[in-house]
Amino acid sequence: MIETQNLCKRYGKFTAVDHLNLQIRRGTVFGIVGENGAGKTTTLSMFATLTSPTSGRAYVNGYDITEQSTEVRRSIGYMPDAFGVYDDITAEEYLQFYADCYRVPKHLAVQRAREYLAWVGLEDKRETYVNALSRGMQQRLEIARCLIHDPPVLILDEPASGLDPRSRIEMRSVLSRLRTLGKTIVMSSHILHELCEICDEIAILRAGQLAAVAAVPVLLNHSSAYRTLRIQGQAPYAVWERALAGACQVREVRYRPDGVELVFAGSLPQQGELLQRLLAEGVQVYQFVEQATDIEELFLRLTEGPVNSQ
Amino acid sequence: MRTLRAPVVVTGYFTAMALLTFFLLYENVQGQLSMFLPARSEQVFVTLSLLQTVIVAFLTPAFAAGAISGERERRTLAVLLTTPLSPAGILIGKILSSSALLALLLVVTLPLYSLVFLFGGAVPEEVMAVFAFQLFTVALIAALSVMWSTISLRSGWSTILSYTTVTWMVLITGGLGYGLQWIAARFPMDYFLSHWGKVLLSLNPLWILAAIENPGLAERNGWLRFVGVYTAMCGILFLVSVWRLRPQSFRLVPGIVRTDERNYQ
Repeated sequence: MIETQNLCKRYGKFTAVDHLNLQIRRGTVFGIVGENGAGKTTTLSMFATLTSPTSGRAYVNGYDITEQSTEVRRSIGYMPDAFGVYDDITAEEYLQFYADCYRVPKHLAVQRAREYLAWVGLEDKRETYVNALSRGMQQRLEIARCLIHDPPVLILDEPASGLDPRSRIEMRSVLSRLRTLGKTIVMSSHILHELCEICDEIAILRAGQLAAVAAVPVLLNHSSAYRTLRIQGQAPYAVWERALAGACQVREVRYRPDGVELVFAGSLPQQGELLQRLLAEGVQVYQFVEQATDIEELFLRLTEGPVNSQ
Repeated sequence: MRTLRAPVVVTGYFTAMALLTFFLLYENVQGQLSMFLPARSEQVFVTLSLLQTVIVAFLTPAFAAGAISGERERRTLAVLLTTPLSPAGILIGKILSSSALLALLLVVTLPLYSLVFLFGGAVPEEVMAVFAFQLFTVALIAALSVMWSTISLRSGWSTILSYTTVTWMVLITGGLGYGLQWIAARFPMDYFLSHWGKVLLSLNPLWILAAIENPGLAERNGWLRFVGVYTAMCGILFLVSVWRLRPQSFRLVPGIVRTDERNYQ
């Protein structure tokens, strides 16, 4: 549904997107995360045909974003990270205006406007002026606007940014329900937990390059690479230190009052060896558990250290 | 057009023009309604139409100069550009919507001209020609303002550029052209001054309008230069505006400098 081949975007000497290769299958909810300036918005702008690539190719719904940009625009609903609304126009008129832009027949536009306003929980705001809606409501209205011409692809750039907690919860509910529509959705966010709840797959961008891409459960398990082990036990500090000093695959140790927490990069047999080693060194182990990988921790791990030279 | 501003502007404008018309007509007949002076009645018509052209010429940028830059400043432009609307379609739509209120101002004052008919002097064909030229001038200024608005990044700049253009069209060409003609009248051998005086005056909408009402004033078909020059200017600015809105449209043109879309949207 969406495919990029060595997609690059340069602004002068600055490389915003660097040889990006992605494949997003039809019906997938795909999240893109990264620090500020990682290239998320530029990538989504290229998918939305607002920005043209410097080199490489990208296809949205089978159409080349450079050669067939009109067909791409008909196939997408795009919500930018910073958007405005027109003054002196009601919510229903706002949706009908965009329906006209997409040449949606009048009767269908009226029907869809009402249907999608109800869908995003704004049915009682039909006659309310758009600029009188709260920020959270405007953002839900934008989702309805993206759906008004029934596109197969939705491109949402930071859809829940700048919202208060209540609005964020409402927005998350709308985004979760978007999954049920069976559309291909690409969204970026800074809020990793939200992306994990909503998305099937996540790509992590770093300085315009793809740092990682995987299905959410795979990313979360990440079992072959890093795990966080929580060991509750009792022993003098020197004993802990001696036991862990020689242990292989221990990447990081955090001492806690009731034991240690460590980042372990070994296999399951190596994990067993670690336990035996602790016992042999005289640590009284009460609990030895693997913690669920925190996505934020994983993100930090994947985006730390120097960037590969361009 | 949806705000209170539109009816207030239309009502205020019509009231002012009606009062002015009655004043001029009253002056024309000097308080004696039985006294008909068709030549002076035509003067009323000329004065009214020239004044109206000046007013709408200076009002038009106020409605058009923020058409696209305003969209950019409101952050609605990016979404509009992701719809299948072509840049040309967006520009033409903006020109039509910006001209609509001004066209309405011209239409509502048409009945005032009918009062002038009562006293003779102007014929319906003349009124229609003047009305058509006024509509053309409004559309022209709206088009130039919308395109300045597209090319410049900020509404402030596009307003300055639009008013500079209108000042050139209405005041500078008129003042310089008339000045050169005046000098040429005193030094008849100086062909150069006379020629450029005519050229400048042919770019002035008020002069063209006066020539429509008084064909002896300017050379025959003098309006063609007006239409030709400003249409060519619109054409060039139109291409730059399309490039500004969607540089990808010119991807097949070799060697064209690609704009930084980030700054624009």
